Amino acid sequence: MTRQVVGSLVAAAVIVIVTIVVVTARLGTTSTAELELREDALKERTELQEERLDQQREQREKRQEQREGRDSGGPG
Amino acid sequence: MGDLVETITRGNVVEVKVILASVALALAVYQLVLIAVGYGKVRPPFLASRAASFAHRAVGDVIAVLLVVVAIACISYFEVEDDHAAHVAAAVALLAVLALKILVVRRWHRLSALLPYLGLGVFVLLALTWATSAGDILASR
Repeated sequence: MTRQVVGSLVAAAVIVIVTIVVVTARLGTTSTAELELREDALKERTELQEERLDQQREQREKRQEQREGRDSGGPG
Repeated sequence: MGDLVETITRGNVVEVKVILASVALALAVYQLVLIAVGYGKVRPPFLASRAASFAHRAVGDVIAVLLVVVAIACISYFEVEDDHAAHVAAAVALLAVLALKILVVRRWHRLSALLPYLGLGVFVLLALTWATSAGDILASR
């Protein structure tokens, strides 16, 4: 009797595990945690791009200032 | 309470709820098999009716706990909306019939003739509650 009850409960545990695996696979990688990770990565990439654009703008401005300085500081 | 549910599930409230509800439904199907053996409708050589009835009671306790946890998560985290009227109605009826079944099993033994009907009612309402929420979510992914 005890062995049969234990066997029935083990079968129940197997059903629980299989259900969790199947449903989790079906839900896929669209969990909130995964979405948050994706959002963070996207934010990081955007920030990096903005930083690069800022650097390029600064360099352009610096070059333009140097050019203007050379033009106004000619022989006179 | 909503914050606690969100913290425990690490923000995956819907996913955890779908998994727990699906586990409850899968165990409910197993319960039908166990009670069929328990009532002697099916007689497999490897499982006596007494053992099946005992396992049915143990698994039923687990399902009851799962359903209460899912209900608490649902009520505390989601708002009651008209779109989900069928889900709310089925869930309220499920908890009511489940509570009645537990009372009949533990206290009101005179009504034990009603247990097969109450059990079937719990199963049907659980399937309906699952289909109108978790089933919808799983079908859409």
